[in-house]
Amino acid sequence: MLDLIISTLTQGFIYAMLSFGIYITYKILDFPDLTVDGSFPLGAAVTAVLLVKGVNPYLTLLAAVAVGAVAGFVTGFIHVRLRVRDLLAGIITMTALFSINLQIAGSNLSVARSVETIFTAAPTMAVLGSLTLIQRKLIVSLIIMIVCKILLDLYFKTKNGFLLKAVGDNNALVTTLAKDMGRMKIIGLSLSNALVALSGSVVCHEQRSFSSMMGTGQMVFGLAAVIIGTTLFKRMSFVKGTTAVIAGSVVYKACIQIAISLGLPANLLKLITAVLFLAILVLGNIEKGSVKKSVRA
Amino acid sequence: MKKIIAILTVALLALSFAGCGKKESKVPVIGISQYGEHASLDNCREGFLEGLKEAGLEENKDFTIDYQNASFDNSTATQIAQNFSSKNVALMCAIATPSATACFAAAEDKDIPVVFNAITDPKEANLTEGNITGVSDKLPVDPQLELIRKIQPDAKTIGIIYTTSEPNSVSAIAEYKEKADKYGFEIVEIGVADQASVTQAADTLINKKVDCITNLTDNNVVGVLSAILEKTNAAKIPVYGSEIEQVKKGCVASAGIDYIELGKMAGKQAAQILKGEKKASDMPYETVTEYSTYVNSDAVAAMGLTVPSDISDKAIECK
Repeated sequence: MLDLIISTLTQGFIYAMLSFGIYITYKILDFPDLTVDGSFPLGAAVTAVLLVKGVNPYLTLLAAVAVGAVAGFVTGFIHVRLRVRDLLAGIITMTALFSINLQIAGSNLSVARSVETIFTAAPTMAVLGSLTLIQRKLIVSLIIMIVCKILLDLYFKTKNGFLLKAVGDNNALVTTLAKDMGRMKIIGLSLSNALVALSGSVVCHEQRSFSSMMGTGQMVFGLAAVIIGTTLFKRMSFVKGTTAVIAGSVVYKACIQIAISLGLPANLLKLITAVLFLAILVLGNIEKGSVKKSVRA
Repeated sequence: MKKIIAILTVALLALSFAGCGKKESKVPVIGISQYGEHASLDNCREGFLEGLKEAGLEENKDFTIDYQNASFDNSTATQIAQNFSSKNVALMCAIATPSATACFAAAEDKDIPVVFNAITDPKEANLTEGNITGVSDKLPVDPQLELIRKIQPDAKTIGIIYTTSEPNSVSAIAEYKEKADKYGFEIVEIGVADQASVTQAADTLINKKVDCITNLTDNNVVGVLSAILEKTNAAKIPVYGSEIEQVKKGCVASAGIDYIELGKMAGKQAAQILKGEKKASDMPYETVTEYSTYVNSDAVAAMGLTVPSDISDKAIECK
């Protein structure tokens, strides 16, 4: 049972980084970014190739961040400079990335057990060597995720970070301040996809594999995690957006794990997951009969 | 309203915990992780259970089954594998590559044996070193080419549609191209990225006037086989399947693997591991050496073809 909780939290933390990315585009920029379904496997593809080549596992994380940022930049450029609609710009990059990912990795690629990952390399073992692999995966993922969260929170407090928020909320303000709104969008998309690719990279370390299909549905997952998280903490304004997103990601993964653990017919898995989401969202919305009110309205 | 939902959620949670508590019984649990619902993969699972039975193990007495299906979603496959690992299942049976990769990763810590099924090239998937064994569903390319040559003695070109991202398909295409010469064929292959482009690729092949089409075990192609057959039947181009289920759907013939048999082989391997006779780490993976010929005589007649008697005598009729 404890193992199951640890594994589920690990999944939640790893995918929280992806959700941070969606939080930036969907919640802050108000940009439905489909690049995610391509940049997530992009991070994994680059990581898998580098791991197989024997590159230091920790460096692969940085490489993933870099290529993810490029992917986001491309979507931003297509949207802002070439004036393609937001949704379509993401679709174009996502479609291109499908081929690019396969070019990078050759085909679906798996990493042999003898290759060291961030969970088994010497520096990790020196600090966490006494723990089991499952526990190491939890701690390492948690650390990477927390670093991302802190950096993001700090960024949002900078001038640039405020401008980014303004793009989604009040873009007239950005223009009044004589700032280029398009530039802010490109920055936001790059940042977002860098995080998504990082998440893909950690998944590759954890699963020791890259599959071209692993990106399918990640955008939907991220959206759900962001919405669940922000709904849960709607009334607690002191909770930071990033914290809510972490919670959303963990809750999502927990819902799937509960559906699996219920042991109901396997084909009902998605249905049960959907019912659990609905229950959580409705519970989050209810406060002193507020549901009735909103129904009437 | 609020109360009802709250109660329901709590009940679901309680149920799930209760489900976890049940593992106290001494009967070993076999966790079956199947990548998705798909006729061939279902046959693998059925065969696996039959194989266990044939090896003398009885369900609910010698083992119980925890069957999970990832609905073709990689991250769900990961969570299923972690669920098995935390329950300390005695053995994981993984059907199709993504499930096998996930199970192997989740089993690493506790060294739980993994038996995989329906993987074309286990070596390339790095699923050969460690506490793992299983069965490969590598296509019998030579017998298939021979079969086509016998049914269509004048045919020159064979069209194949495949998904460029499926390693199984890519390696099968390479083998087909290498061996086609020997039988006097030329392979016209069209790679697609997703299922939506498959029927367009079929149109292209028909346009190129290929003499016939043969299938791989490519999930995207097999998934829309009926739509392909509709087009090829109109154009009178015979389609050869890669296994029994495709012939049942309307392909003319196939020299293919029987996935039930394949599953049985895996089931027997699992039985040896459960009985403690062998360790998965000491068992090399197995490949099917025997294949069967399947013929759909309705489809053959519709194409205006005849099957030579030396084939039809031993072929299995599928309708």
